[in-house]
Amino acid sequence: MKFDKPITRRESIRTLLRWSGYITFAGAAQWPLYTLSDAWATETNKGFIVEGFGQTDGFSVKELTKKVFEAAGGIKRFVSRGDVVAIKPNISWARHPRFAATTHPEVLAAVIELCQEAGAKRVRIADNTIHDARQCFAITGVGKVANETGADLVYPRSSLMKKMKLKGNRLDVWRVFTPLVEADKVINLPVAKHHSLSSLTLGMKNWIGGVGGSRWSLHQDIHRSIVDLAQFFKPEVTLIDAIRIMTRNGPSGGSTDYVTFKNTLILSDDPVAADARASMLFGLKPENIGYIHLAQKAGLGTYDFSKLEKKRVVM
Amino acid sequence: MKIRHLVWLRRIIQTFFLCLFLFLLVESRLSQDIYVDYSIAFSADNSIRLDQPVTFFFKLNPLIGLTSLLSGHSFIPGFLWGVGVLLITIFLGRVFCSFICPFGTIHHAIGSIRPALKGDRMIQANQKTPDQKIKYFFLLFLLIGAAVGLNLSGLMDPIALLFRSMAMAVLPGLGAGLRSVFDVMANSDIKVFNLISYGAEVLLSPAFGYNVQAYQTAWFIGLVFLIILFLNRIRPRFWCRILCPLGALMGIFSRVSLLKLKKDQDKCTNCNLCVKHCQGAASPHPDQVWEAAECLACFNCHNICPEGALAFTFTRQPKLNQKPDIGRRAVLGSILAGFSVPLLGRLDGRMDKIADSRLIRPPGSLPENDFLKLCQRCGLCMKVCPTNAINPTLGEAGMAGFWTPRLIMTQGYCEYTCSLCGSVCPTGAIADITTKEKIQRPIKIGSVYVDRGRCLPWSGNAPCIVCEEVCPTSPKAIYLKKETVSRPGGKKLAVQLPFVDLKQCVGCGICENKCAVKGLPAIRTISAGESRSLENQILL
Repeated sequence: MKFDKPITRRESIRTLLRWSGYITFAGAAQWPLYTLSDAWATETNKGFIVEGFGQTDGFSVKELTKKVFEAAGGIKRFVSRGDVVAIKPNISWARHPRFAATTHPEVLAAVIELCQEAGAKRVRIADNTIHDARQCFAITGVGKVANETGADLVYPRSSLMKKMKLKGNRLDVWRVFTPLVEADKVINLPVAKHHSLSSLTLGMKNWIGGVGGSRWSLHQDIHRSIVDLAQFFKPEVTLIDAIRIMTRNGPSGGSTDYVTFKNTLILSDDPVAADARASMLFGLKPENIGYIHLAQKAGLGTYDFSKLEKKRVVM
Repeated sequence: MKIRHLVWLRRIIQTFFLCLFLFLLVESRLSQDIYVDYSIAFSADNSIRLDQPVTFFFKLNPLIGLTSLLSGHSFIPGFLWGVGVLLITIFLGRVFCSFICPFGTIHHAIGSIRPALKGDRMIQANQKTPDQKIKYFFLLFLLIGAAVGLNLSGLMDPIALLFRSMAMAVLPGLGAGLRSVFDVMANSDIKVFNLISYGAEVLLSPAFGYNVQAYQTAWFIGLVFLIILFLNRIRPRFWCRILCPLGALMGIFSRVSLLKLKKDQDKCTNCNLCVKHCQGAASPHPDQVWEAAECLACFNCHNICPEGALAFTFTRQPKLNQKPDIGRRAVLGSILAGFSVPLLGRLDGRMDKIADSRLIRPPGSLPENDFLKLCQRCGLCMKVCPTNAINPTLGEAGMAGFWTPRLIMTQGYCEYTCSLCGSVCPTGAIADITTKEKIQRPIKIGSVYVDRGRCLPWSGNAPCIVCEEVCPTSPKAIYLKKETVSRPGGKKLAVQLPFVDLKQCVGCGICENKCAVKGLPAIRTISAGESRSLENQILL
């Protein structure tokens, strides 16, 4: 194109038409590809949900965790040899495990061991805690687990919080805890508990612990924020610890009066289904919980369990 | 043992104690490495404690022990170490200053590695001067002040001063500089830089803090420290000779020291090498009378004298050394100051009349009057606080409480399951409470109130429950009520309004710290309701 002389109207219209033609053509050329990949996705995307239940007194939480993974096709389905695996437990609060505010350390230990058996190069435990991280590591028992299993316990330092584009409806640029996005495989390991605003803290809400910055303002539109985070963080699998659940005064609790034993573990590759199933343990309907409902609408998963392959493990 | 070996022995011991000081300084933190044994905290509800005896140098310091005894009428834990140091002083003179004191070692190093003065000017600077009386004035002032009821010794005590300067200013300052370099590297797109920066941060963060450390008035603490170091260019060991109250105390005790400098006037060729290398300006020259109270027993003169005219020897004769040059004016002045400053310190009414709402003391602190009798302002509690909440005060505690600890909740908050500050306090100004005690009694450090005009749900701006969510007590001190309010545009908004149950609130301030309203948070902590005070209460 020449710019040394003024462009006439005719010329400019012609150029515009030509370029829009190119773009349309290029777009149209992509079309078959998109439909194809969509078709593949729906074919293989039959999700699963496995529920483990410990019936007998004094059953081994560790065993149950391993059995649940076995029922889902074994850990090798999710973790390959040489992978760097990031596990996101919920250890936000410096509370003893008996208060049900944090992920059960035995569940965590079992998952780490499974990953190591599957040949993971590195297993990292990463959570951006609310209380001081050192206190959380010590009191929730996670530090001990890391010690015994040899997993890395990542301290949520400020340099690990990098600005990233979340491309959500509500959240755009936000600081993200990098170990969770830089890992080859991510496993979400939340605890099921009450929450005073979003009603329940489950798997998708666990991702609030995956971002930094002024995350307290997320509470102003919590359901949509959770959905935005859930579409950004894509774990291989979600394992919800409902061995004991906190039924009120969440999310921090602090008394065993609020804790009920359910002896249940829920494993699913569908984050919405996992949360939905866990919400039923609290006697709630999934469609009544804002973010579960919105997440299904956004296509992140489903709480229609008939679309999923269901399994149950009883110990 | 030859004298040359003794000088080297001194250097080795000095280096050892300086390193020990720095090691204990760095260890005054809640470690994050996973190699520590977590099973204790995990299996029982035991409190988390530090592994190292971080208060060692404070125990070793007789000035802290003495002022605490005079003002607080209590023996600090491990005060026998200080007594031991005084006993050594009685036998050997001020060896603490030249062998053990880490601050002295720093001055010694600055003054002798690259001396600022050359030749005759150095000899001139090392002559004893009347200025050296000033330290006795400070010592007596601090002792009298402590006896009258205001313990200011920590402001000038060398161990407290060094610890405060290192922990509040030097380490955070270096840390901030290094961190900014690492952040640039961590944010670069070059993978190698990222890895290096992560690695370096992991290695260095134990020393410089896991997050950016900030302390109120830290710039001033650092400035004072730099000025004191700079004074070495005017006269070597300016601080030790002229200002140090601990040195003055040791000087008085060395009156009876059995280790004496023997001079042989006949051998002296008047080369003045002894004066040139004298650390304490203690008149080592054979023509002058040796000043035992000024002598740091560094053995430099003995070592350097080419003629063998000077020698440190033990004498059995109970002959007193030269009297410390205290001077009548210093005594009178210190009595005047010692009585008047504690009274002046009360004039702002902070101690008796009005408790400042911002003066939130660490959990387990004694009642304000007793607190000021014992607090050394050393900064150990501030260094050890895992959330960086404890800061030196500026005016919140009045003049009498300058640089004493205070919690700033916008900066950190009091961790519910932590009682580290009390466990490291060298004098017991903050009682060594267990975490269990802290939670069960409970020990309140203040209370919070909601600023309804700023609060998001109260003002109809947005739903928010963060304060309730983070409240650690059980049952929660912040509870919610469902309500419909009108948005700024007039539309209805369903929210949960936060309320404070003052009976449950312990004033930990995590709600203020995490409040989504920045600037001035919508929920704020005040000292009223603190369990240590009978008067500063709200509820019956």
